[in-house]
Amino acid sequence: MSADEFDPFVERLFARSPTMPDAPLFTARVEQQLQKGSRVRFLALSLAGLVGGVVAVRETMQVDLDLAPRQGVVAGDALGQGIQSASVSVQSGVQSVLDQAGLGNLELGSMGGMQLFWIAAGALIVVAAAGVMKLSQEI
Amino acid sequence: MTQPLVDRHDVELAALAAAGGRREFGELVRRHGSAVRALLRRMGAQPSLADDVAQDAFIQAFQRCGEFRGEGTFAAWVKRIAARLYIKRVAKEARYVAEIENEDTAPATDHAGLVDLDEALKALSEPERLCVSLCHGAGMAHPEIASALNLPLGTVKSHVKRGLDKLRARLQPEPAQTMGRIQHVG
Repeated sequence: MSADEFDPFVERLFARSPTMPDAPLFTARVEQQLQKGSRVRFLALSLAGLVGGVVAVRETMQVDLDLAPRQGVVAGDALGQGIQSASVSVQSGVQSVLDQAGLGNLELGSMGGMQLFWIAAGALIVVAAAGVMKLSQEI
Repeated sequence: MTQPLVDRHDVELAALAAAGGRREFGELVRRHGSAVRALLRRMGAQPSLADDVAQDAFIQAFQRCGEFRGEGTFAAWVKRIAARLYIKRVAKEARYVAEIENEDTAPATDHAGLVDLDEALKALSEPERLCVSLCHGAGMAHPEIASALNLPLGTVKSHVKRGLDKLRARLQPEPAQTMGRIQHVG
């Protein structure tokens, strides 16, 4: 057999592959791995979203909800006070969550509120993206 | 009524898998898992390593399924992914530079008289076996193999040539008879 005939002959031999006896097990392992990967990704994204949400709520409460004293309109006072008291209660709730997480002493208020919010959001997005990329590589 | 997965073409299944269809991808694994594992074993991987690399290759294929355009076969596409992953692993151990010669030239046929490629490949040194498998099993061109293995092109060509010479000596096919058998099996 010449080389011209032998090369395709070898290619055909390579194309013939026996079905492995444990093929179903292998398929199940791959499917399980895919399932696990998507669960981990879902959890990582949910966690990042949750942390980002908590920080966003905290910052929003600190920045926007002290409107009432600046507004001299009498009709707005009641509304302002209502919002302010709601903000205080939400803020204290968020603060207690942060305290439990050991993050209660963070001095975030010294910076501009919105500025800090965007910095925190940006950092979280970067961390979440890096985490997702790392997980994707590991899976 | 939806078409059963077993009746769907690979390209169609790959498109569905690219949209996140794990069941569809599972069907592709079922169809081509053995072929990818067999190629890795033919390249010289131990069975457990071959299975690990094949699994990683399929996971990577799932993540990159959108890149598969159906220009070649899906099996060939995954085989190339698997071959590259295996090369990365062996490159760390520099196994392919080891020259292990086995000069046993007994014809490689199984009990039924069919040509046994797996048996014949054992006569090749590791680099020859790897280069022949990458070239004829994974469909990689010589320059591509040279680049992946970080070997000179001439070295790759001589590994492939020597490997094929050894295979020819061991397989010793009777053309008409063997081709007929392959058509029946394949």
